[in-house]
Amino acid sequence: MSWKDFQHLSDEALLDYYHSTRNIKAFRQLYARHKDCLYRYCTQMNFAGAASVLEELWRGLLERPPQLCGRLLRSWLFIRVNKLLRNYAGADPDAKQNSLLPDSQLLQGIQQLSRTERNILLLHLECELPLATVADIEKISLKSCREHYRSGKDKLDEFLHGSKRKPWRIEEVEVTV
Amino acid sequence: MSVWEHQYRDAVAEITSPGTLDEKILLQARQFKPVKQENRWLSKAAGSCAAVAVIVLLVHPAQYLGALTPKQRGAQSNESSSLTNWQLQKPLPATGTDPWFELRSEVQAGNYMRLCQQWRHEQRGITADKLPRDLANKARKHCRLLPTH
Repeated sequence: MSWKDFQHLSDEALLDYYHSTRNIKAFRQLYARHKDCLYRYCTQMNFAGAASVLEELWRGLLERPPQLCGRLLRSWLFIRVNKLLRNYAGADPDAKQNSLLPDSQLLQGIQQLSRTERNILLLHLECELPLATVADIEKISLKSCREHYRSGKDKLDEFLHGSKRKPWRIEEVEVTV
Repeated sequence: MSVWEHQYRDAVAEITSPGTLDEKILLQARQFKPVKQENRWLSKAAGSCAAVAVIVLLVHPAQYLGALTPKQRGAQSNESSSLTNWQLQKPLPATGTDPWFELRSEVQAGNYMRLCQQWRHEQRGITADKLPRDLANKARKHCRLLPTH
């Protein structure tokens, strides 16, 4: 099979084909599909450990085929990489790496968020995972996951465009006669 | 997709996996040797060779000429050799010189003098040698019998 023949195959079919034949072209195709997305997620979550975590992730996938159990490979990859990032015993993941990322106010704003909010925002935005899956990854309820996502977005908006206008009088004044 | 999501996509577009990391991971992948599967080219070559061999066997003229294997030839050698080596026996050419050669060549040249002389001697019984049939016919045509004195 040539490079073009793999293009129409889904990730899961490619993975199956790779593990039955160990065809390097199939792996290259699979790797090319997800490498940039995974790298962006990892660098924004933990810049220092991104490379080693990704190496470990792909090594695991190469050594033994993941048990997808009907899930998408894309979801499996991000669930796995999230676990590896949590267990990464290198530099402090919360250390800010603003200078290492491209000079973008938005990316800097994302770095200002708490780890949970950043993770939820990136998993939903960058990795295009549904919030339900993100909630499973974070081991929280869907409702609180949605709240985290909203609060993260609000904080980001605030960082980018300043705080929302508030009415000058917040408390209602009761006039007693 | 909201505006800031578009902004996010634009901002991260330049973050791509570094080449060194790609090389490392692909190097790991190369350590797993591909599963050996049946070599299609070899089997194709073998198949075509077999097909050619079958065609050669079918088309080979030896089959239709009744070529025999050496063993069979050994059994039938006596019968076949007498037939294969048979040739039409040509009669041996007559040995010796033609006694009428000179006379015949003279006659062919148009000189009938000696022929007629021989013919007269034969008629008169002077000589015992008889002319051959062709010369006698020619003599009958061309020679006169002169009266004896």
